[in-house]
Amino acid sequence: MLFVRGSGNCVQCNTPLRKSNFRVQLFEDPAIDKEVEIRKKVLKIYNKRELDFPSLKGYNDYLEQVEEIVYNLTNNLDVEKTKQMMEQYQRENRDVIQRNKAKLTREQEELEELLLLEQQDFEQRRLQTLQDEQRQLQAKRKNKQALLDELESSQLPAALLLAQHKDRASQLETQIEKQKQNVKPTNIFSTGIMMGQTVSLAPVTRVEEVLYVYQPMHFDTYGPPIPELDQLGRLGYLNHVRTASLQDQAGGYTSGLACHRAVQDAFSGLFL
Amino acid sequence: MHHELIVLTKDYYMIKSMLLIFSSYFESTMYHNSSQKKFWTFDKEEALDKLRLEANQKFLSCAKAGINESMFLDQWEEKVLLRHYEKRLLDFCNIFKPAMPKSVVGTALMYFRRFYLNNSLMQHHPRIIMLTCAYLSCKVDEFNVSCTQFVGNLQESPAAQERALEQILEYELLLIQQLNFHLVVHNPYRPLEGFLIDLKTRYPLLENPEVLRKSAEDFLNRAAMTDAGLLFSPSLIALTAVLNGAARAGLKMEAYLTECMGLKGDKETLSKMYDSMRRITSLVKAYELPKIEEVNVGKQKLERIHAELATNLKRKHGYEDDEHVVKRQMVTEEEWTDEDLDEL
Repeated sequence: MLFVRGSGNCVQCNTPLRKSNFRVQLFEDPAIDKEVEIRKKVLKIYNKRELDFPSLKGYNDYLEQVEEIVYNLTNNLDVEKTKQMMEQYQRENRDVIQRNKAKLTREQEELEELLLLEQQDFEQRRLQTLQDEQRQLQAKRKNKQALLDELESSQLPAALLLAQHKDRASQLETQIEKQKQNVKPTNIFSTGIMMGQTVSLAPVTRVEEVLYVYQPMHFDTYGPPIPELDQLGRLGYLNHVRTASLQDQAGGYTSGLACHRAVQDAFSGLFL
Repeated sequence: MHHELIVLTKDYYMIKSMLLIFSSYFESTMYHNSSQKKFWTFDKEEALDKLRLEANQKFLSCAKAGINESMFLDQWEEKVLLRHYEKRLLDFCNIFKPAMPKSVVGTALMYFRRFYLNNSLMQHHPRIIMLTCAYLSCKVDEFNVSCTQFVGNLQESPAAQERALEQILEYELLLIQQLNFHLVVHNPYRPLEGFLIDLKTRYPLLENPEVLRKSAEDFLNRAAMTDAGLLFSPSLIALTAVLNGAARAGLKMEAYLTECMGLKGDKETLSKMYDSMRRITSLVKAYELPKIEEVNVGKQKLERIHAELATNLKRKHGYEDDEHVVKRQMVTEEEWTDEDLDEL
């Protein structure tokens, strides 16, 4: 009832307010809503993209600048200075801003067109399947009706008629199956390449690189050499460890594992 | 080579051994490239003392006004109290039900020690930190205890246990942060096992190495109460424990180092090792429980400082009516104190 006329004064502090400047709160936290609004406005002006920058660092610096501006405006810090900075930037980069705006609208249109096409396709296919089903139902009904009629009027024995009917029903089924398998011919691969396009048969350019040669990893354990896992049995270590029960062995555990680990821990870092 | 192992049973030990296999292939859990070696092993005891002094002084400089200078703890008083609370922690772990494995106890003690390397007792009360250390250690070492089971080991009313649990959960993240997120601790218990196995396999001069086990384990338990874990690698501490036990029993072990370890020709490494082992032994021998009078004086001071801090915090938050303040005080009286732990 405050804004019947579209504008009025605040109840407590009498500042003039306009109805259009209010918005529906979308998020639970009003601070977030405020930030979202401010961000939208700022990004309308600061709409440069990564390809506008020669280096990644330049782009990241630009993004950091934008974030600072949004933060300042949201928390009411240096509002004047920030606004001045924004105006200055706008003046300096007016043409870049316009160009990016145009690019954005173009991209959006393209996306919308694609979406529309997809929707239309989907609709068509749906209608198609509906029609097919209708036809099949009708065919089945006709078949049944024909059977009843024949039973009524024909001279042939009932068993023979039933057999004929079954035959026709199975023929219909196979027809339906064939129709289902009849795939609509397409002209475009899923990656977007048109079918039937001639592919260049020129040889692929050879890229010379250094061949990878496996180097086993080497770690300095700062201690005496540790016997290998597969040598433990031969060296007699396993006689002094608890033997693995059948249940342990089923899961792949061997007594050598625990033994190796214990000896490894004992020798690691000894000479430090 | 990549082992592919299918776990057929739900045996927990099996899963642990899977971890063992993969970890030893990737060499990520060994001491020699662990965070313990890189960040939490220091050269000298003096470096540790310096850190503790810095922590103490940092607190003093940040302390709120209104607390008299003489009320603060100096680093020697802090040391006394630290030893007292370490013993408390050890006792708590020893009567813990279900029985806590030694590595969990060792990890908890190490966390406690590391935390108070960079923090002052006046900033965070040790009775909460010690329980948080035990709690975190159970989690990290995969000793499965539910939080209710954990606080059930406190000799308290269920309400006090609940409050203790709340405090533990509050402090958990702080503890992890102060440990710099380095949660894997290498204890000397497994190296001890390794040495016993190695002695049995390669050192026939010693007829029955098992006789060394009891004294070595005892040595390791005492070493856990010293700064040894912050100065030396766990394998060296374990070796010291073994040699110490052997010396006590009058058994000769030099040949083990010179022959089995191949140190015959390497005089430098050998002398360095003996030197370190001497230092470890002296650290362990020098440990003694703090005197009860000193502990009580220290505790009084500590409680006063923490009470002051608490009231300062309340004053900051500015309660509007006195009633509110009064209510708060009644709650703090019910909080569990050290005396309740005395029941242990």
